[in-house]
Amino acid sequence: MHPIERIMNTFEGKPVDRVPAFCAMVEDRTFNEVLGSPLISQETLMNNPVSRFFLDRWGQTLSRTVFQPEVARTMEKRIKAQVELGFDGVWAILDETFTVVDSKTMARFTGSIFNLQPDGFGNMTYMYRTAGIKSREDFERWPYWPDIDAIAHSTHTFFKKMVSRYGGKTCLFGQSSAYGIQESLYWAVGIERLPVWIRRHRDLVDRFIATNEDLCMKTAMAMLDVGVPVILQTDDFAFKSGPIMNPRHIDELFGPSYRRIIKAVHDRGAKFVLHSCGDNTLLFDTFISWGVDGLHAYENTSNVDIYHEKKIHGDKVTIIGGVGVDYLLTERSRDEEVVEKVKECIARLGPGGRFIISPVHSLSTIPAHKLRVMVDAVHAYGHYPISIH
Amino acid sequence: MKESIQQVIRTIDELDIDAICSVVQHCLDEGISPEEIIESGISTGLSIVGDKFESGQYFLADLVMAGEVVREAMPVLQEKMNPDMTAARERVILATVQGDIHEIGKNIVGLILSANGFEVIDLGVDVSASKIIDTARTTGARLIGLSALLSTMVGSIRDVVEASAKAGIRNQLKIVIGGACTSDDLRLEMGADAYGETAIDALRIFKGFIAAT
Repeated sequence: MHPIERIMNTFEGKPVDRVPAFCAMVEDRTFNEVLGSPLISQETLMNNPVSRFFLDRWGQTLSRTVFQPEVARTMEKRIKAQVELGFDGVWAILDETFTVVDSKTMARFTGSIFNLQPDGFGNMTYMYRTAGIKSREDFERWPYWPDIDAIAHSTHTFFKKMVSRYGGKTCLFGQSSAYGIQESLYWAVGIERLPVWIRRHRDLVDRFIATNEDLCMKTAMAMLDVGVPVILQTDDFAFKSGPIMNPRHIDELFGPSYRRIIKAVHDRGAKFVLHSCGDNTLLFDTFISWGVDGLHAYENTSNVDIYHEKKIHGDKVTIIGGVGVDYLLTERSRDEEVVEKVKECIARLGPGGRFIISPVHSLSTIPAHKLRVMVDAVHAYGHYPISIH
Repeated sequence: MKESIQQVIRTIDELDIDAICSVVQHCLDEGISPEEIIESGISTGLSIVGDKFESGQYFLADLVMAGEVVREAMPVLQEKMNPDMTAARERVILATVQGDIHEIGKNIVGLILSANGFEVIDLGVDVSASKIIDTARTTGARLIGLSALLSTMVGSIRDVVEASAKAGIRNQLKIVIGGACTSDDLRLEMGADAYGETAIDALRIFKGFIAAT
């Protein structure tokens, strides 16, 4: 069975030959292990006095001419490595959200500031630093709001290439530069100010949501136009302690946008997957009511009971996850432990279908070897009818 | 309990940030002292919000909003407050450990502690062990809250514990950890004194340490 058929059938609850394996993206360290490291590391190239001098002065210009093309090449390496590792479904992302402000700072176009920093493995990565919009004036004056049509165009161009190069080998789960509507909002204004913004600046919050819905919608349509079969949207609606907001408020604020986007995806015959970190136990019913076909993460470290969720929601939505990145997919675990976990997931989540095994997250610390062990175990034990108990 | 104090409690419980200043001002106009408004009104209101958070009726955003409601009221109260009371507040140092720049959880803990009368010394993110211990020595703070999200940076927690021992003040400090990658097992491994999963846990732990001394 072709990976696309295996995955699409799984979403539709139809029979498949084996449990599909999805890769929750790979970071630079992992894809360098698969594809080979560059002669000169990103950290050496970017984190030296000469580069910092140029980035500090002409970061924005270099963003367009040097940084964004390099980002696109990196994004393709991520896809290529996931395909080479043997996953049925791969997380294919084009992240054009950043403008380099200086050698240590990047601005995400939806209002937030990130650090540009080494990842500890010779590569450069980014981490959220702070909100970029702290007042109504900041909102109006934010200089990096995206040109949505231009982003949709580059999304179309990038994914056309990716479908042509990898679409015959794997099922692409496409994510554009449109990050989650809700998480982009709290990155922009700061989670500690989000409730006050919703109360006192509801007009701007509504404008923000509408802009992001437009971005998500247009880039999703661009991906669907070139044949991407699954649209993947990240939006972390919960933390370790549970939903960030009352599920009713989440539904009121963000549900209408997600319902419209998911309907448009379904109208084109494609599937929609939502990735949300944290303990979403109280939110799964809400997500399902929006029409999602699959849900990803079910973080073990956030006390989410994936086995219970399969029992109660496994007839309505495809459960994607199962393999933790806090221990199993690290150098600390033994290969046999990874194999045992895969077997346990297959035995307990495989029956009845609508299950795609996957790491719960991407992390710069995941060794490629552990992902290979995981995929090999799925190929060895994942065939239907499930014969392990 | 006076009706106007009950109104403060209700206003915090209902997270009504637009009403809190006038409600507090009404209490002051009735001759109720700022100290009584804080002790009987604000603390009780926050306690109700904390209980609702723990029982699942309120969520993180509600907890944050309650902190903001109190923050809104503080300037009105501070104008009339006895300066001795402000000086007597217990100091807590908060920091995201060296190598980690995630601050959302730390900021929420800071907001809740401030709203509950603690003086929060927020050192920010990516803070070295030496800076944390130097701050404890110069400010006399006995309570330290360390936040970590990245599993690769948990060793920085041990650095703080060891730096405090090296400085000879380990026994005078209580070091509490929290954040996505932390756990009670990690607390034991790193030699910290307590682990809190939520901001309300942190509040309870710090209050517990004060009560025990």
